Amino acid sequence: MVCSFSNENVFNPSLARIVVMKEDSFGLDLPNVCWHCKQCNAMENCPTKALERNEEGLVFVNEKKCTGCTKCSEMCIIGAIRLHPERRTPLICNLCGGKPLCVQKCPTRALTYVETGAQQPRLPNQVIKEALGRWKIFV
Amino acid sequence: MSKYYGYSGRILRINLTKNQIRIRPTEKRLITEFLGGRGFNSKRLYDETLKETNPLSPQNKLMFATGPLAGTAFPLGARFNVSAKSPLTGILGDSNAGGHFAAEMKFAGYDQIIIEGKSQKSAYIFIEDKELQVLDAEHLVGKDIYETTEIIKKDVGNRTIQVAAIGPAAENHVLYAGVFANLMRPAARTGMGTVMASKNLKAVALKGTGSVQIADPERFWKIAEDIEDEVYAHPQYWPRRIMGTTRILMLANRLGILPTRHFTSATFERATEVSGEKLAREYNVKNRACFSCIVPCSRFYVITEGEHAGHFGEGPEYEALSSFTARVGNSNLDLALRAVDLANRLGLDAITTAECIAWAMELYEKGELAKSETDGFELRWGNGEAILALIENIAYRKGFGDLLADGVKRASEKLGKGKEIALHVKGLEIIQADPRGLKGYGLGYAVASRGADHLRSEPFIELSDDPKKGMEMFGVPEATLRLAYKGKGRLVRYFENLCAIVDSLEVCKNLAENMELLSFNRAAEIAEAATGFHFTEEGMFNIGERIMNLERAYLVREGIRRRDDYLPARFLKEPLPDGSSKGAIFEIEPMLDEYYGQRGWDKRGIPKETTLKKFGLTDVAQQLSRYVRLCP
Repeated sequence: MVCSFSNENVFNPSLARIVVMKEDSFGLDLPNVCWHCKQCNAMENCPTKALERNEEGLVFVNEKKCTGCTKCSEMCIIGAIRLHPERRTPLICNLCGGKPLCVQKCPTRALTYVETGAQQPRLPNQVIKEALGRWKIFV
Repeated sequence: MSKYYGYSGRILRINLTKNQIRIRPTEKRLITEFLGGRGFNSKRLYDETLKETNPLSPQNKLMFATGPLAGTAFPLGARFNVSAKSPLTGILGDSNAGGHFAAEMKFAGYDQIIIEGKSQKSAYIFIEDKELQVLDAEHLVGKDIYETTEIIKKDVGNRTIQVAAIGPAAENHVLYAGVFANLMRPAARTGMGTVMASKNLKAVALKGTGSVQIADPERFWKIAEDIEDEVYAHPQYWPRRIMGTTRILMLANRLGILPTRHFTSATFERATEVSGEKLAREYNVKNRACFSCIVPCSRFYVITEGEHAGHFGEGPEYEALSSFTARVGNSNLDLALRAVDLANRLGLDAITTAECIAWAMELYEKGELAKSETDGFELRWGNGEAILALIENIAYRKGFGDLLADGVKRASEKLGKGKEIALHVKGLEIIQADPRGLKGYGLGYAVASRGADHLRSEPFIELSDDPKKGMEMFGVPEATLRLAYKGKGRLVRYFENLCAIVDSLEVCKNLAENMELLSFNRAAEIAEAATGFHFTEEGMFNIGERIMNLERAYLVREGIRRRDDYLPARFLKEPLPDGSSKGAIFEIEPMLDEYYGQRGWDKRGIPKETTLKKFGLTDVAQQLSRYVRLCP
């Protein structure tokens, strides 16, 4: 909520740059957000090269070039690129200038802000499997 | 965007008989007089159902409503109400649940969804922003809550939708079946699921991408952050996060109010074995929260050892835990978790189910019920096998379960036995706290507008046993002493009004009643910041009064009088046998007099004409006077 509020001044999780995937029957909640990977699959596959990297290395969308084809959301390896419900352009986390509000606001400190370097994110399915394994739930 | 800040601004009406859909703007008058949620529902229920309306007929209205704070960043504000005329009690039916459904309703663009008529075939409603479809649900008939939710998610190809569904219990017309959102967030009291089933409606599924805009973002944010800080610093924060409401089990045991073996005892000698503490230590693996909530009090558990190893689920809360442990004399926690899960999957109200089983067990133990009458089940206290089998037999109306499926009042009448130990008020079964040890709660059960229930008043402050608070708030030190009688009318009136506001803003009672962090003044401030309408402390109190008086008028129209504001004989005559409230009984008459006086109702429990007029209910007064003579 804090994400949509600070970026768009309204409350709307569909406009948030972070998404929490939920599986109620397994009690799972998995936050997903852009890692700004050094090697970005979405950026490489954007037909109009609308995804660019700024001087700090953060991925952002150049709205002038973006055609709303939504290829990026398919190509992101962890599915962290969400689309604006109306404009269909990607919503990508801008890290709130180095002090992410979602991390500050998280009641359980489930989110931390770290420098990942060259490390690639783990795939959501893998994370889920590990979590269930820890709880001795096997599916 | 909506015409009004905080609200989605639209009210949806679906007629399943005519396949007709109407969308109307949310009216300003409705907002300023009734706020939202329960207020909206109670108002419409009064206006649109009659004394003659059969709860299970197409003429009954099933309503989902939420308030101005749902879908915002307000902490602990993600609830919705489901209301209709109740098939269990025949009067006002209403139940409230949390989770993510309420917020999704707002994002989809609706403050209230009214369902009327009856579909020819089983159907479910799918709303995706502006698109609305009534879809065939023949393939979902007989499926439990989990299966139904899963299949609908697959059908519409979206796992992020929110589903409120009913289970087989509702389809078999068990009179106390609930509506379940997020799998295990039940609006289960008073049989709202049964009403939904009578309309041939299996589920309501929602997906919304809209926004909630608020009037004064800066002020709103400031108040929300202040409340967050206070919640984090509150002594109840960590206990609630670790144990949710299950922490109350040991507390109730200490206070001598645990409904052990159908209220024949007030302490459970094996309470530690089924406590929230044990659950937290040995079973819980993760916390979960409702939408935008900072107190993740719901817990996911896994059973790793023993007969039930491999079973997992979410919850339970105190009411359900106590239902299938102390109330039925069961000290096997694994079994209780299975029982709660089973009741949830089948779509039953855990409180009422447990009362029906416990009632039968007491009769059996007393020798008044023979094995031949119970399908061969030995209904001894804590017989796990019988408990699980009975839950299923109730849901499918099999054998002895068929009798219990009508609720304890009807069951005792039909059986011709056990009427004096059928623990209900106005047909709704009593919750898990013994009123003999909590007088304010007891008065709350007696007068609650939906029958025996604590969530209409929840004077949690009574548990503090602190006379200073009573003096400060009500000018009567006894008001906040749990075993005293004086001042309870004031106490219950105050907290009933607060609950009406809380249910209409759709905030969690943990915040307002338990943590005491949402006063009328603050409710006015946050409502004003969110909606832009001017609200005052007194105005808020009056909205609470208005809702309470309207609900009472509804009850009076249905024939409810003072004689119905009672507690079962057990609490009035039998002293508590043990525990720290030992010897206590419950004297209701003096408290009722004080309460009616405080409310501006006459001795019969009917609102006076001046009272109704004072709160802008002149039309209600006129209408009501056709049914009963109103005192001026």
